[in-house]
Order: sequence, then C-alpha cells, then structure tokens
Amino acid sequence: MSAIGTVPGLDPVIHSQARLRVTVALAALSHGDRITFPRLQQLLEMSAGNLSTHLRKLEDAGYVELTKTHQRRTPATYVSLTRTGRRALEDYTAALRQLLEPPTDQPGG
Amino acid sequence: MAGEDKGTEASGDGDQPLSAGESLALIERQHREAQRQLGVNVALFYGPWGAAYLLGFGSIFLTYPSASPARMPGGLAAAITGVLFATAFVVSVVNGTRAGRGVRGPSRVVGAMYGWSWTLGFCALAAVNIGVTRLGLSDEAATLLWSGSSLLLVGVLYLAGGALWQDRFQYGLGVWMLVTGAGSVLAGVPGNFAVLALAGGGGLLLTAGYFRLRPPRPHTGS
Repeated sequence: MSAIGTVPGLDPVIHSQARLRVTVALAALSHGDRITFPRLQQLLEMSAGNLSTHLRKLEDAGYVELTKTHQRRTPATYVSLTRTGRRALEDYTAALRQLLEPPTDQPGG
Repeated sequence: MAGEDKGTEASGDGDQPLSAGESLALIERQHREAQRQLGVNVALFYGPWGAAYLLGFGSIFLTYPSASPARMPGGLAAAITGVLFATAFVVSVVNGTRAGRGVRGPSRVVGAMYGWSWTLGFCALAAVNIGVTRLGLSDEAATLLWSGSSLLLVGVLYLAGGALWQDRFQYGLGVWMLVTGAGSVLAGVPGNFAVLALAGGGGLLLTAGYFRLRPPRPHTGS
C-alpha cells in the first residue's frame, strides 16, 4: 500500500520527530500543569531557537498553549498541552498502531 | 539518545520522517524519559524513613537492660535516631520539590498541600502530647502516647496519600502503620520500640522496594 508519509490520518503537525518529542514530553505532565520553557528545553535537550520554532508551529495548530508571566520581575514562559493537542497525540498513536497491525484478509492481496 | 540513530540521517532538528514502528518507539522512549525527569522518585520517600525506624527505634530498644545484655548508651541511641530522622525529613522535602522545578499547576498544589499536612500534623501532635505529658504522666505512659499517636498520624497520612494518588499499595501501608501503632501500645515498653523498628521500618522498606522495582507505566492508549 502507500508509504507512511502519505497515509491519510497521520497528523502532519506531529509527524516530525522534534514536534512529536515535544508533544510526548508535554503529555507526561499531569492535566492542567504547565512547564517553564527552560525546563522543557533541558528535558528535550533542544536549542532554544529550535524549540521555539516547533512550539510556534504547535501553537498555530492549537496543540500547545504558551503563557507569559512574570516571576519577581523576571519574565517566564510556561508551556502546556491543550486538550486538542492531547487528543491529537492519542489519535496519532492509535493510527500508528493500526498501521502496524497485521492486515486482515485483503481481497486479491 | 544512545546510538539509536545509526543508519538514518540524524538531522539536527529531527525532521526526518520515521516509519510507524520507529515513531512508536520514539514516543515510548520520550515518554519514559519525560516521566523519569518530571516524576518524583517514589521509593526515596520511603527508604530513608524505613532505615530511620529500623535503626533509630531499634537502637532505642537496645538501651533497655531487659532487651539486651550489652546495653547501648542512651546518648548514642538518641544521636542515631536524631540524625536518621532529620536526614529522612530533608531527603523527603528535597525529593518532593526537586522534580517539580519549573512546573506549575494542580499537581504541584496537591503535592505541596500534602507535604505540609505532615509538618502541620506533627506540630499539632507534639503540642498535644507535650501538653498532656505535663499533667503528670509516667515515663512509660508518655512513651506509649508518643508511640501510638505518631503512628496513628503516619498511618492516616498514608491512607490520604493512597487516596489522592489512587495508589493501593500506599493505602495498604497506611493500614499497616495503623496496626503497627496500636500493636506498639499493646506491646508496652520497651517492646513498643521493637514493634516500631521491625513492623514499622519493615513496612516502609518493603514499600520502598516495591516502588523501586515496579515497572514504569506505559504510554497512554495502550
């Protein structure tokens, strides 16, 4: 059948190693929790520029939420996965599992 | 990231398309890594307390002439107990706050409230016990008051923790500590110290071992 890159149903936003890793890491947080940008960067071992590029793409898709706050006059950015983002990751994982399942009786297969 | 990229072009920003199997493996690996870094080391909440109970209360037990022929000096037992309990307290506080660095939200609030429950509970318990002891309790009665009431509070807090984090093993430990507390009072002095050391310390060390060996939870949706 078709190559994985063209399989419909595989979310193109998280079908990229870097954005998939960001999403999985954020999904490890408890519901409603947010993490600072530097801590997320340290966890993923990504450069700041790289991480913010991917976060912007995820934010555009509505998968992550960025909140800017101040902690004792120091600006801080908190990142969290939205409900849409969590569902997108679940759907993506389910789609991958389906692809790996042994094919069931394909006519003329 | 140990050598698993060989064969594929590991581009810096990782935008290489992966096969379904590789993607699933990446999800699993990243999930485990994130959990390891963001989650607390649960075993570390029990191990140091287990050691403090076993060796601290054990050494107090050995200061009684009826318990051991070679009596342990009281000062030494008090020093061992003090150092071990202080260490366990510091380890718990550091362990509880370290994993939550840079994280904000409901889980942090729950963790902080639960942590403070221990401190507040024991401050109130100390006030009550000191007040009651002042009215004129025998040494034996005062010892059993501390023994029973402390374990009652410990047990109830583990019950609460088990309920909060939906952890049956922790809840079971709570039940065990309640039984230990009641048993220590029934055992009398100095038997209560043996009960605290063996049953209390043993239960805590067993719990630490359980959480140390328990396999990590797989990624959701499995």
